[in-house]
Amino acid sequence: MSHLLRKNNIGWFFIIISVVAIGLFYFYPMVQALLLSFQSGMGANLQFVGLENYVRLLNDPTFIAALSNTVIYLLVQVPLMIVLALLFSVLLNDATLKFKGFFRTAIFLPCVTSLVAYSVIFKYLFGVDGLVNYFLVKFGLLSEAINWLADPLWAKVIIIMAITWRWTGYNMIFYLSALQNVDRSIYEAAKIDGASSFQQFFMITVPLLKPIILFTSITSTIGTLQIFDEVMNITNGGPGNATLSISQYIYFLSFKYTPDFGYAATVSYVIVVLIVILSIIQFRVAGDRK
Amino acid sequence: MKKICYSLVLIFCLLALVACSSDGEETSSSGESGGKDGATTVWAWDPKFNIAALEMAEEYYDGEEKVELEIIENAQEDIIQKLNTGLSSGTMKGMPNIVLIEDYRAQSFLQSYPDAFFDISEYINPDDFAPYKIATTSLDGKQYGLPFDSGVTGLYVRTDYLEEAGYTVEDLTNITWQEYIEIGKEVKAKTGKDMLTLDPNNLGELRIMIQTAGAWYVEEDGTTPYIAENEALKKAFKIYKEMMDANIVKINSDWSQFVAAFNSGDVATVPTGNWITPSVKAEASQSGKWAVVPTPKLSVEDSVNASNLGGSSFYVLNIDGKEKAAKFLANTFGSNTEFYQELVTEIGAIGTYLPAAGGEAYNQPDEFFGGQKIIADFSEWTDSIKGVNYGMHTYAIDDILSVEMQNYLDGKDLETVLKDAQAQAEAQIK
Repeated sequence: MSHLLRKNNIGWFFIIISVVAIGLFYFYPMVQALLLSFQSGMGANLQFVGLENYVRLLNDPTFIAALSNTVIYLLVQVPLMIVLALLFSVLLNDATLKFKGFFRTAIFLPCVTSLVAYSVIFKYLFGVDGLVNYFLVKFGLLSEAINWLADPLWAKVIIIMAITWRWTGYNMIFYLSALQNVDRSIYEAAKIDGASSFQQFFMITVPLLKPIILFTSITSTIGTLQIFDEVMNITNGGPGNATLSISQYIYFLSFKYTPDFGYAATVSYVIVVLIVILSIIQFRVAGDRK
Repeated sequence: MKKICYSLVLIFCLLALVACSSDGEETSSSGESGGKDGATTVWAWDPKFNIAALEMAEEYYDGEEKVELEIIENAQEDIIQKLNTGLSSGTMKGMPNIVLIEDYRAQSFLQSYPDAFFDISEYINPDDFAPYKIATTSLDGKQYGLPFDSGVTGLYVRTDYLEEAGYTVEDLTNITWQEYIEIGKEVKAKTGKDMLTLDPNNLGELRIMIQTAGAWYVEEDGTTPYIAENEALKKAFKIYKEMMDANIVKINSDWSQFVAAFNSGDVATVPTGNWITPSVKAEASQSGKWAVVPTPKLSVEDSVNASNLGGSSFYVLNIDGKEKAAKFLANTFGSNTEFYQELVTEIGAIGTYLPAAGGEAYNQPDEFFGGQKIIADFSEWTDSIKGVNYGMHTYAIDDILSVEMQNYLDGKDLETVLKDAQAQAEAQIK
């Protein structure tokens, strides 16, 4: 017993608990879902259909619409948010800035609000009779109220605005904490060498923050690929399928239509595959190959 | 030392496995009862309508066995989600004894989960209920649902606006959608008010239109998509576009905006199900300014001035306490005429139990609607509703059509629109 209690063994014991828990709650469902993706049928009447679901994916216009919407969100929103977060963090890191605490809180605050609550507020802000239309018309910027959420392009823009508002502050905090670990003397040295603020930003700040940028872009990519609450609550996927996201389509397949859990599992595996591929690309582009 | 580690891992895995398997056996072998302490659990939505009706039923129940209801309020979406996840996992644990399901979805549940629902054919007489409800609540000749609220539609109209535009209620009675649009244009020109409010993501109006002609998204078998050759649907698409083009529609994007549109007096009519009555009456200042006339019909053969939108029924789950639950439903919603009288007076819920319609409460004038006997009118229209087999895919096809509707409104040719929708529906429905 005495050697069982040696440091190493206790460590092993704790690891086993989490390994079993992860295996049970992560990997077992993943394998089950993979098996499920080869089955199809209504509700509980599932049958193995081989690769039929995967073939169906390629010919499913709704899925293709959902996929392309999600990719658009990803391509527009993630870079936009990363750049904004970087910008804010650099500005807020300025030693001469006053009311720093206030600004930091203000920018971080959106990401502690409830996803559903803020989505509903966005929906009402941009309604036909909403506040945004009211002010735009009042100040003569628009002659007639725009039905933002009924227009395929505007609806997408509003979803992107909403997620950017919600998550920029979250990413900013990572950059800010990283920046605070950067030695001031590096910037002082650069200044003496005559580097402009732009040069300092691109030559010093960005390279030093590279690992954090990689981390935030991967987590943001994963988050955006799984986007659900905002779309569900602001536009419910409409108009047409103009804002439908993959997660929402999975929800519809499982709960709105006659349930086909097999096909829904197939669609969810698409997200898994996408996340894996995109993460590998990001690692290759930005990460150190060690 | 390694051995000890391995054995620890083994023990842990075994423990986990044992825990899982014993759990599985327990749930599959015995049908757990849904309620605690012998109470009959019910899942339903809408506290002012369905839940109030259930509470009233509990008071009216006079069967031999004591029944105590435990009503759990859930949003309809949540009930669907819980039922689907619960039933598909194959366990009946945590399921209610009675559940309310919307008629459009009933067949999908009955067919997706065979044996999950209890056959109540012996407890009620299907002939006592409106025939169009029986089609949706039964499967293979077995009656699974107890038909509850009628989704009978009507056209709610603002008499003051119509008068201002030079029309009377008679001018809107038993009209076609075409005539409706013409009147709408006139109303808009004279009063500046839109004729109706629509949510582009919700094709309820389209469903109302096609059911007046006895048509649906699927053929009578309930599974074959019936879109490309569907004359009624084609006509309904045209009407929908004409309404949009005539600029008589106020767009809304959800229920609260929908209700606000008529409560604030922005629209002149509301063509929808009778369950909207409490929401219309919620704006007390408009008392006396409303009337209800029959739903407009499509100008196709066999179309009638009556239709249905939504509507739901009660189902008993095949678990312990099913007989008790079925008896409770049969004793109240299934046979008690007196109960229905109070239901209609107190809650305004129009059931589909035919013997109840002769009662006095159904003939009460309603001051809000200028003394019109709206319940009697609705009951009368209920008799003319054409029964259709909603099948299992209403909402899947609805989504396909709403995308194609957008394309149609943007100028895509109607024939192609319907053909594309048909192809998509065929690919999706198997």
